[in-house]
Amino acid sequence: MNVRILFLLCLSLSGFAHAEARAKLELQCVSFGDEPKLECTARIRNSKGDPVNGAKLTLNAHMPSMPMAHSVKPTIAAATNQPGEYRGQLELEMPGVWVIQVDMSTPTRDRFIRRLHIEPCEKDKRCPAMNTSSIKTKPE
Amino acid sequence: MGIMALLALSAYLLLLVGRISFGQQAFFGIGAYVSGIASAIAHWPLAASLFVGMFVGALASCMLALPTMHLSGLHYAVATFALGEMVRLGLQAWYFQHETSEGLVGPAGVDGFGDIRWLLENDVSPTQYLVLIAVVLAFVLLIFTWLERRKLGVALRMTGHDDVLAATQGLPVTRLRIAAATTAGALAALGGGLYAHRATYIEPALFDPMLGVHAVGYALIGGLGTCLGPLLGVAFDLGLLEATRVFAGWRMVVFGLLVALFLRWRPRGLLDEALVHRITQAFRSRPEPSR
Repeated sequence: MNVRILFLLCLSLSGFAHAEARAKLELQCVSFGDEPKLECTARIRNSKGDPVNGAKLTLNAHMPSMPMAHSVKPTIAAATNQPGEYRGQLELEMPGVWVIQVDMSTPTRDRFIRRLHIEPCEKDKRCPAMNTSSIKTKPE
Repeated sequence: MGIMALLALSAYLLLLVGRISFGQQAFFGIGAYVSGIASAIAHWPLAASLFVGMFVGALASCMLALPTMHLSGLHYAVATFALGEMVRLGLQAWYFQHETSEGLVGPAGVDGFGDIRWLLENDVSPTQYLVLIAVVLAFVLLIFTWLERRKLGVALRMTGHDDVLAATQGLPVTRLRIAAATTAGALAALGGGLYAHRATYIEPALFDPMLGVHAVGYALIGGLGTCLGPLLGVAFDLGLLEATRVFAGWRMVVFGLLVALFLRWRPRGLLDEALVHRITQAFRSRPEPSR
């Protein structure tokens, strides 16, 4: 009986992976505050380069150096008035290397991953620029 | 939680035979990378990718166990810790990228390995994948439960309690330990493969010693009396981690302190052998219902 269930399970998982043209994500994040907070702006374009409107995006973050330990509450990125642009904030627990995960559930399911290095903020609340080109310091 | 339970069961199996491994994260990582390569680069189906990850994880664990199993408990723990770090540092230096229509895919040193997109490309929803993980875990637990009632299960426990006494009883102690280590490697690698496909992105930093320490912690906190112990350990550990979220950056410090206090109170975990025995006896001695 168990062998039959296992066979059916294997059969159900035996589809071969296939590649489809993916949407493209441009992510810009700005850090501020003590915790620090991260404000991320995501721009989604389809494979033809047109902005994707009406997408549902969720932002999430975790620290790879502390697996399962430091993960933050996921937040929904709201659409801005620019076509294909969405914005959301994440509250990180500490500076360091964070992996930002952007999940798109509509119009297609996709996941985009970006790795960011978040520097500690200065005493005057200014946060140094991160060592990734897509990261900027928020002007005071 | 199901994925972590597989890692916890791998550490539990080694604890049963009297060996503490701080290197199970290495086999978790090997499984994640191998099955990720199989599905994202070679375009293998998920089941085959997981299976090849398990096979390589089991092989790596067996290769480690062969020269180290004669070491004493402490030395074995150090050897597994060293292997864990070797694998992590090796992954940091490993580049194996393949050109696809979406760009380069494959391990890229410290930048990790992304685009393990089998679930997305085959439209498997997170709920369906959760069910799959639950089925795999239930299947593994069934095997454990079946094994613990057989002679082999008793022999494994005897080896862990007193290896000299077990050897004088005619048990092949070293062979039993190597078999346990190989199976534990396969289980950890299966967990890694499932993790890689769920996360779609892995990197060497994920497989650092902290993950290995947590794996042993799950088994010790949950208790060694039954294979359900590690599951309870994972639930306790992750629950405690969530409950200490208010401490923000100090969360891990508070969490560590609470775990230390807990183990001071219950050194053999929540479901230790004595409690499992009491529960079993309570069920056995329950009076027959009157007709």
